[in-house]
Amino acid sequence: MNLPAEIISVLLYALRVAVPLLCISIAHRCFRSLKLGKRKEEPVVVLEDASSRTVLPVLYWENSIGRSRSCDIVLHDPTVSRAHAVLMRRESGWLVTDTNSRAGTLVNGKKVKQDAPVFPGDTITVGSTALTLKRTADVGVAQPQSPPRRRAASPFHLMQLVVLVQFLLFVQACFAPAKPSLEPLVPFAALLVLEWGLYFYSMKILGRVSFELETLAFLLCSVGIMLLCGEGVKTTYTQLLGVAIGTVLYCFLIWFLGSPARVMRWRVAAGVLAMLLFAANLLLAKEHNGARNWITLGPFSLQPSELIKIAFILVGASTLDRLQTYKNLTGFIAFSAICMGALFLMRDFGTACVFFVTFLIIAFMRSGSLRTISLACSVAVLGAFLILKFKPYVAERFAAWRHVWSHVNDAGGYQQVRVLSYAATGGLFGVGLGKGCLKDVFAGDSDLVFGMLCEEQGLILALTVVLILAALASSARANATRSRSTLYSISACAAGGMLLFQTCLNVFGATDVLPLTGVTLPFISLGGSSMVSVWGLLAFLKANDERTYAARRRRS
Amino acid sequence: MKTTGFRSFILYLLVGAFLFGLGVFLYGLALDGGDWAVQPFNRHITGESQTAAEGRVLDRNGTVLAQTKDGRRVYGGDATTRRAMLHAVGDTRGYISTGVQHSFRSDLIGYNHVTGLTSPTGKTNGSDVQLTLDSGLCRLARQKLGSRNGAAAVYNYRTGELLCMVSTPDFDPQNPPKDLNTDKTGKYSGVYVNKVLSSALTPGSIFKLVTSACAIENIPDLDRRTWNCSGSVVINGNRITDLYAYGRLSFKNALAKSSNVAFSQIAVELGAGRMQAKANAMGFNRSFSLDGIPSAKSVYNVASASPDELAWSGVGQYTDLVNPYHMLVLMGAVANGGTPVMPYFIKRVAAPLGLEAKTGRAQAGPALLGAETARRLAEYMRYNVAHQYGDGLFPGLEVCAKTGTAQVSGRGDNCWMVGFSSRAETPLAFAVVVENSTQGSIASAGRLASALMVQAAKIQ
Repeated sequence: MNLPAEIISVLLYALRVAVPLLCISIAHRCFRSLKLGKRKEEPVVVLEDASSRTVLPVLYWENSIGRSRSCDIVLHDPTVSRAHAVLMRRESGWLVTDTNSRAGTLVNGKKVKQDAPVFPGDTITVGSTALTLKRTADVGVAQPQSPPRRRAASPFHLMQLVVLVQFLLFVQACFAPAKPSLEPLVPFAALLVLEWGLYFYSMKILGRVSFELETLAFLLCSVGIMLLCGEGVKTTYTQLLGVAIGTVLYCFLIWFLGSPARVMRWRVAAGVLAMLLFAANLLLAKEHNGARNWITLGPFSLQPSELIKIAFILVGASTLDRLQTYKNLTGFIAFSAICMGALFLMRDFGTACVFFVTFLIIAFMRSGSLRTISLACSVAVLGAFLILKFKPYVAERFAAWRHVWSHVNDAGGYQQVRVLSYAATGGLFGVGLGKGCLKDVFAGDSDLVFGMLCEEQGLILALTVVLILAALASSARANATRSRSTLYSISACAAGGMLLFQTCLNVFGATDVLPLTGVTLPFISLGGSSMVSVWGLLAFLKANDERTYAARRRRS
Repeated sequence: MKTTGFRSFILYLLVGAFLFGLGVFLYGLALDGGDWAVQPFNRHITGESQTAAEGRVLDRNGTVLAQTKDGRRVYGGDATTRRAMLHAVGDTRGYISTGVQHSFRSDLIGYNHVTGLTSPTGKTNGSDVQLTLDSGLCRLARQKLGSRNGAAAVYNYRTGELLCMVSTPDFDPQNPPKDLNTDKTGKYSGVYVNKVLSSALTPGSIFKLVTSACAIENIPDLDRRTWNCSGSVVINGNRITDLYAYGRLSFKNALAKSSNVAFSQIAVELGAGRMQAKANAMGFNRSFSLDGIPSAKSVYNVASASPDELAWSGVGQYTDLVNPYHMLVLMGAVANGGTPVMPYFIKRVAAPLGLEAKTGRAQAGPALLGAETARRLAEYMRYNVAHQYGDGLFPGLEVCAKTGTAQVSGRGDNCWMVGFSSRAETPLAFAVVVENSTQGSIASAGRLASALMVQAAKIQ
């Protein structure tokens, strides 16, 4: 430890250059692996029209059958309803559900309502069309030869790289205090235990093949936790607890989501639980920095709205047969209105916006109705107008927006100008872990954490972090037709959109692109409840990947 | 499933919005990152955790005008030099926004987009900024201005180098007076304003140069015409007077004697439309820039003027205002055949390791006059000095110039002199103004200009 300060400084700088480059490489390989893991759109089974011998490929895990051109299997038969039935693949095999058709659906001549099993060779009759379920091989449809796949990076190797990043961050954290210390060993070791624990549980015990999302999540968590470590090791304990509870919730939710039928049964309960949590919040919470979104239970304080995000998506998502049977959104709209109303009463406008955007995504994906969306937006604009008119203090909070440089020392722009100034100070590679000044500004490690990341670790790493979050949302979208149910597609798009919009509000609020609303940056900001909820949201993305529920790998 | 997949494209809207917002932030960072970083509240620059220190400000000869010693900003030279350089260099607290320490703060502190305010070794020393100004010449201008308020600027109209830029009132940045911000008597009124760049004052007779340029282009037999200057003329019921009854005057003598009677009539004869067009062409109602620092606009507006007001406007009264820096550029234009070489005052910004981040160089400005107009105007201005003011003011420099004494209601006159040396060896242009003067324009502005030009001619 007798090295001259300048040499240490240059070495730490080299680490700050290495970390973002490694992160970019890990992220690139993870997303490539996600892409390579995606199934080609090839039919496994087909339906053969008994009279015309036409072969209709069955491309998805849930297929709508009907006359409408928007159906997955389109039948040109006037006796078939526009949305007649849904053919789904579940763990037990193929099932068919009649979705309130006029003529009804028959399997082998017997009228069926819901979840009727169909085996190869069975005939499904819809209207006057009879369709026989056959394996692709049986009808002699030539399987297109897929080009030899390039191998994706091994999950184990990617996790090793994450550990390398964590080690480099750990070294920086050791040098963060004026006197170097080995205290950051605690969060470093805790992260190792958590990530390898989940790795072995998931890959060895459950036998899953993919670990990309978890790898990315642990990468982001380590960047966030080591950043907080610069403020003192104690700050990281909340985060580590959040990750620990979050991974447990993550595993539970993936198991829970495994059966769409179970999810559909528990939806109402989740909604009621969410509303009870809101009620408890409104009754028990004390005002804290202008918002009432915290409740304190003994030594712990938590933000119920973070957990309600998960319930909100559960309530919103739906399987294809339900979507076709119950077309209206009234229940979900009412539930959303209650959630947002509660958030307004709690004066948590940022989270209300996050819920609103998630609502729009779910509502559009369920109904496809632009009318519903524009109606919802009009109501929101009207609501915003009324709030600004009758609650002038809300407008005051936004008065400095885009004029923050005229509010350098008043509440309107104090935080934003410091974010901009300190973010620019950091340049591409930052001033060094723990060497920043933004952490001393109020909410520097939560609402303004993007600025803190720029200041201490540099613009490149900060951009890598937010672009990973955007890419997570994009990958949810890319998997939308490959997943095992629209339940997963909708919930993953909603969760991805929620994460990305929250990122938008956090990053752009802090940098004065949008008004400052005070929401957390997923995986990075200080906040235990937020960390738990983000892992919960990640479970929806994981469930969307069809490999998650694939038959277990056979051990050789 | 297909439909759900199709509807999921709604997420791309969000991704698009996200990328757009990120673009807005990054664009701002690329454009203004330096300004964002060098804020006074940034504790990386000031305070205990200081990692960045401001570089030095030097004059053209390498004299240190400002530097940081032990965390404090120290200003070089004697009190007069420090006061003379105040508006060019700027104050410690950043109130003088046109000063180098404010406008080039990010260069001084050594900001760059790659390492920000930091550096791999942990400490940055900032960059030195060298000016083209000559602190000796500025000191002389400051000395000559004495207790009077005013402004003086001299530049080389071939190279563009600004040699002198002084504005009063001022204060010593090393020892700012205690009552600087609390004084109620008005003795520090405008102390943070660099009058060369940021003031607009009533021009008086120097505006006759604009009227002359308009006359040159629109009155074909100008040099054969005469005006009977009997001491006063009544236009639209309003009497316009001269100091003396000059009798019958040719155009060049009318300009040399600065006859209000003649020029008010010329303005009326030319009409508001042509006067306005010429003034606009010559740079009125627009801002010029000195290394990116914008100047105040000169004002000429006769859109709704009555004939007598038009007459007054033609002799530099009415609502006319001029900015000294604009006058300097205009003199550069006349000297250079209509198109000025724009002044600059940042000679070089030196980055650490001996690299140069920025080097000032000559750049042509917008054409303000036609070449023939510029030539004839220069001829008349040369005649002014040779036959009216006396070449003794500027020995051997063959100066072309025009004086002005603007009446300002409620106080003394603004005395002006603007001009340039027509000798190829001394390509110097100047604009000086002394406010609230009880002496004539030659005795105040003329003597100041004389001293500056004689001294400036010695600068290599």
